[in-house]
Amino acid sequence: MSVIDYKCPGCGGGMVFDSGTGMLTCQSCGRQEDITQMPDPLAKNTFDGDEAKEYHCHSCGAVIMTEAETAATACSFCGSSVVLGDRLAGRLAPALVIPFKVSKEEAIQAFRKWCRNGLLTPGGFMTADRIKSITGMYVPFWLYDLHNEIQVQAMGTRVKTYRSGDYMVTETQHFEIYRQIVLNYVQVPADASEKMNDELMDKLEPFPYDQLKSFKSPYLAGYMAEKYQYTDEELLPRVKEKISAYIEAYIRSSISGYTTVNVTSKQIDTMLEKAEYALLPVWMLHYDYEKKDHMFAMNGQTGKVVGKPPLSKAKVSAWFAGVFAVSFLAMKLISLMLGGGFW
Amino acid sequence: MKRSRWMLAMLLVLVVALTVPVQSALAAAAGTATTKKLIVDDAALLSQQDYDELNALANEYGAKRETDIVIYTSKNAANTEVMELTEDFYDQQAPGYDKPHGNAVILTLDMKNRQVYLAGFYKAKQYLDDGRLDKIRNKLTPDLTNGDYAGAFQTYITTAYKYMGVRPGANPDNILFNIWVQCVVALIVAGLIVGVMVFRSGGRVTVNAKTYEEAGTSKIVGEHDQYLRTTITKQKIEKKTNNGGGSGGGGGGGVSKGGHSHSGSKGSF
Repeated sequence: MSVIDYKCPGCGGGMVFDSGTGMLTCQSCGRQEDITQMPDPLAKNTFDGDEAKEYHCHSCGAVIMTEAETAATACSFCGSSVVLGDRLAGRLAPALVIPFKVSKEEAIQAFRKWCRNGLLTPGGFMTADRIKSITGMYVPFWLYDLHNEIQVQAMGTRVKTYRSGDYMVTETQHFEIYRQIVLNYVQVPADASEKMNDELMDKLEPFPYDQLKSFKSPYLAGYMAEKYQYTDEELLPRVKEKISAYIEAYIRSSISGYTTVNVTSKQIDTMLEKAEYALLPVWMLHYDYEKKDHMFAMNGQTGKVVGKPPLSKAKVSAWFAGVFAVSFLAMKLISLMLGGGFW
Repeated sequence: MKRSRWMLAMLLVLVVALTVPVQSALAAAAGTATTKKLIVDDAALLSQQDYDELNALANEYGAKRETDIVIYTSKNAANTEVMELTEDFYDQQAPGYDKPHGNAVILTLDMKNRQVYLAGFYKAKQYLDDGRLDKIRNKLTPDLTNGDYAGAFQTYITTAYKYMGVRPGANPDNILFNIWVQCVVALIVAGLIVGVMVFRSGGRVTVNAKTYEEAGTSKIVGEHDQYLRTTITKQKIEKKTNNGGGSGGGGGGGVSKGGHSHSGSKGSF
C-alpha cells in the first residue's frame, strides 16, 4: 500500500508530529512515540515503480485529493494525516529532514509580531489580523557539497605619492600576483519545488543544520510535503551562481595590500562532491488585505518571516520627510560648526 | 502610529525653523523706516532706479550684519591714490552701522585710474579680511571691466553680506554652506535610507560567504607576489596666480589718517 498513516498503538487515534516535543503524538490520548527509536513504516513497504494514480484514505476510504508533487497531506474528508509512500521511496527518498520547531500557534504569533514591526506597513495591515490560511509544508531542497579549485593571476600596484621640491612624485610599484585557493562549501541549499519562489526561499535561509536528522516518514505526519520537481543536476547551475559571489569575495580578500588589482586570468573549477535530498520546514501564510492576497513564508525552524508586505504611501512619505528634515538640520549644524551661518 | 506622529512633529519643527527667519527678515525690512544713504555715486555710474534698488539692498543686508555696506564712486579729480581716497572718505563721511566711524565695508571706484579698492572697518575688518576682500574683488572685477556697474555692486553687497555670516578664518565659499547643496545632500540621504527600508521590508538575506564555507579545508594553498618594477611620474606643482579680470591686485589694509585701521584689497578693472 502506498498510503501510510500513523495510528496510535494505544487507542487507534491519528498521530501527528509535535514540534514542541519532537515526538509523534496521539491527538486523542496524548501518547508519545520517539521517532528515532521507532521503525519507519516506509521501510517496510515496497512500492512498484509506477506511482499510483489514486490514493484512498485508510480511515474513511475516501479518495485523497493530491497534486502531482504532493508527498504528504491530510484527507480532505476526515482530516487524517497521510503520507504517500511511493512518492518518498526509491529515487524520491529524502536523505535528511529538519523537523518543524515552530508550532502553528507560535507561527501565527510570530507573524503578527512581525506585521506590527513593519515600519512602512499600513496601520490597517498590522491590525487587520486576517490570516486566510497557514500551511506547514516540508519543502524539497537539494543540499550541495561543492569543492572549488581556484587559480587567479593578477597585476597589482602599490602607489606612493610624496612632495619633492616643486614636484609631486608618484611612485608606482608593479607586482605580479598569483593565488591558488581551495574552497569547500557544504550543504548549500537550493529549493527543488516549482511552486516556491526562489528568491523567497533564499531569504528564508539559514536553516541551522544541527537539527538535521536522517529522514523518517513520521516527521511528516500532520504536515504537507512535496517531492522534488527538479533534480540535483538541474539545480546545479543555480547553486553555482549562489556560491560564485562568495568565491569572488574570498578571492578579493586573499589579495590585499595593493592600491589597484587587475585580474588577468581566473580559473574556477567547481566539483560536485554530493547532493543530498532534504525536506526543510516552511510555514506558508496567506494574508488577506484590501481584497488582495499576500503570501508570506516563515522558516519553520527559526521563525524568520519573508515576503513583501504592502507599503503605506503615507508612512513612506513620512519617513522620507522625517529623514530629510533630520539630515537637513544635521547639514545645517555641520555648516554652523565649520563657521558658516545657520541661515 | 506613534512614529508617524513623531515624524509630523519633526516636520513641524522644520517648517517653523524655516519660516521664522523669513518673518524676522520681513520684520527687519519693515522696521528700518529710515533708509541710510549708503551709495555715494559721485562718478554718476548708476541710473536713479538702480541707485534706489541697490541702496535699499545695502540697507537691508547691512542691517542684518550690523555693518554699513557702502559704495563710493569718484572721478578723482585730485588724482588721489585709491586707498587714500577710501580712507579719506571714511574719515570725512564717518559711516558706521553702530556709530559714526563704526562697522563699515567700503567699495571705492576710482574712475580716473580705473582702480577699485575694498576696505573693511572694525567688525567688517574682522570678518572681511584681506583674503575675503580679494575674493569679493575677483568676483566683481569682470562686471566692472564690462561696465556693468549695477551688477558688480549687487554682487558686492550680497557677497559681503554672505561672507560676514561666516566665522572669520573659515572658508566662506565652502560648498557645505550652500543651502541647495545641503538640500540635495539631505534628499539623497533620505532617498537612500527609505530605499533601503523599502528594499528590506520583504525580508533580507542573512547568510554570508562564511555560512556554508567549510572552515578547516578552505584556504589559500599557493600564493606568490612577484615584484616587477617601479615607475615614477613627476608633476610640477602649480603656483597659485592671482588672476582678476583686470590687472594687478592685492594691496592689503592700512590705517587712515583719522587712525582707523582697516583691511583692504586693491585692483584695476
